[in-house]
Amino acid sequence: MTSIYLVDDHELFLSGVRAELSERFDVAGWSTDVDAAVDGIRKSRPDVVLVDVHMPGGGGLSVVGNIHETNPDVRFLALSVSDAPEDVIAMIRAGARGYVTKSIDPEALADAIERIAAGDAVFSPKLAGFVLDAFSDTVPIEADPELDQLTPREREVLRQIARGYAYKQVATRLSISVKTVETHVSAVLRKLQLSNRHELARWASERRIV
Amino acid sequence: MNTTAESNRDNTPDRLQILRGRLTRSNDDRIIAGLAAGIGLRLGIPIVFARAAIVALTLAGGFGIICYLVGWLTTPDEREYGSMIEADAPPSTAQKFGLALIFYALLVALQALGLWFGAIVWPAILVIFGAALIWDRAGVESRRRLARLARPSDNGTRRSKTQIFFGAALMVVGIVVVLASLDTIQSLGPAAIAVLLTAAGFMLLFGPWIWGLVEELTDERRARIRSEERADMAAHLHDSVLQTLAMIQRSDDPQRMTTLARAQERDLRAWLFDPAGADKTGTVGDGIAAAAAKVEASFDIPVEVVVVGDRPIDDAADTLVAAAAEAMANAAEHSGARTISVYVECTEDAVDAWVTDQGSGFDLDAVSDDRKGISESILARMTRAGGEANVDSTPGEGSEVHLRSGPR
Repeated sequence: MTSIYLVDDHELFLSGVRAELSERFDVAGWSTDVDAAVDGIRKSRPDVVLVDVHMPGGGGLSVVGNIHETNPDVRFLALSVSDAPEDVIAMIRAGARGYVTKSIDPEALADAIERIAAGDAVFSPKLAGFVLDAFSDTVPIEADPELDQLTPREREVLRQIARGYAYKQVATRLSISVKTVETHVSAVLRKLQLSNRHELARWASERRIV
Repeated sequence: MNTTAESNRDNTPDRLQILRGRLTRSNDDRIIAGLAAGIGLRLGIPIVFARAAIVALTLAGGFGIICYLVGWLTTPDEREYGSMIEADAPPSTAQKFGLALIFYALLVALQALGLWFGAIVWPAILVIFGAALIWDRAGVESRRRLARLARPSDNGTRRSKTQIFFGAALMVVGIVVVLASLDTIQSLGPAAIAVLLTAAGFMLLFGPWIWGLVEELTDERRARIRSEERADMAAHLHDSVLQTLAMIQRSDDPQRMTTLARAQERDLRAWLFDPAGADKTGTVGDGIAAAAAKVEASFDIPVEVVVVGDRPIDDAADTLVAAAAEAMANAAEHSGARTISVYVECTEDAVDAWVTDQGSGFDLDAVSDDRKGISESILARMTRAGGEANVDSTPGEGSEVHLRSGPR
């Protein structure tokens, strides 16, 4: 059973998610602030950590940053009410493997956790849109084609996700296997984390409004 | 320090603190009277520096000698320290005034003897002596007291008022002396010096108080702005969030609750992240978002909007937004899906929009006339504006409407 750890400063939300997920997952622990979370995660070594983006004391960003340094095998799924691009991009670049909003339904959340635990990336429609926007067709002059551009296929997969289709549906629609969809999305995640495109930063700061 | 003294009289901790912080002449590290060592210890600087300063001042027209003598007269020996506590120390204002008079007499005598140090030294001594009275008990307590001066409403200012008065008086004397000895330094611009000295004295006496006033005013202004902002926010939250929460509590339909919550969320987000105002219709994305909000409100169903490459709206895009709104309403009304997804992609010369639901879907060829009419109205509208529309649906798997404006 996949073990998970929950970090959220809203007790109500925390207990709700805990109740929803405790049947399918082994809840290794939870905490409501950054320091306790860092300690707890180091001790319990869960497979996946669900982390809220906005928390006092540095927020989810510092949890991800801290743990990523010492326990690179712990995987993160960012969970937030915020759709603000700079939050999303910052979490992904810090090392989170996925980002979903808190309005996600429990079943989809559970699927997302399983996917993250398997080492894949989880893109919500919003995140897919962000990435398409940030990697729009203007290619920077000093581009590293490997990292600074999306392949046409990756672009197509992201478009399908942005249109609200689940990975399985995307696979059917594009006549490829689910595994291939996952590979494409993971490749996009890697580009998102490693690309130096300054458009990423500029784009995020330009679009404060969701 | 003498512990027996603590048990009697009014040796409150505060007062003992004052005495402890007093400048004393050092007993075991002395060259003449141990004053330099005392100063060094009190200020926490190497004693050598204190000595060097005195020597340097002595070289400046014998000023250092005067200072040393004054220091010797006014500071107690370390050994007398304990008895200072038992005696009714610190010296009363009258004693201080007496000391000042003795010192003044001494200087006059020196002048009479012809040991005149120059026009600057004379008033300078007086000014410094005046300042010394203000700061006299040295260190922490004096600073605290000066800090308290900046808050006239606080207690504890009465005692220092006398000192301020004498400090000011001595400074005035210093200024008067300068003015009186103008003939010797006329070339320096007497008026300027007088003004400078007055200003310096004024700043020394009232500086902290004025500073305090300014700080208070700034704090007050800041607090007022903050409270206005708070009131603004409270008003907005009351009108929107609290009202919605009340409505949610009165509602027993989960779908309705969700819709209310989502509408409120959208509204609050717009307000928080877009202070310029929520009713913008400047871009394609804004138009789509407004249409989505309308559908959410009238059909109680969440609409997920993703916009890529947003750009200013034009006539063709306007038609596309209207058609998309139609498609959203259509899906909300008939599909039975839990959510509707809208994806809009703007490129250089075209705008594409997909309205997707994963509801019941339908067979395009076998739909009833009114539904066909709706899709035709979408189709016809797009073609008229030079765009195109495609409806793709499979029964049981949902449907997707693709709208495109701009060149094919």
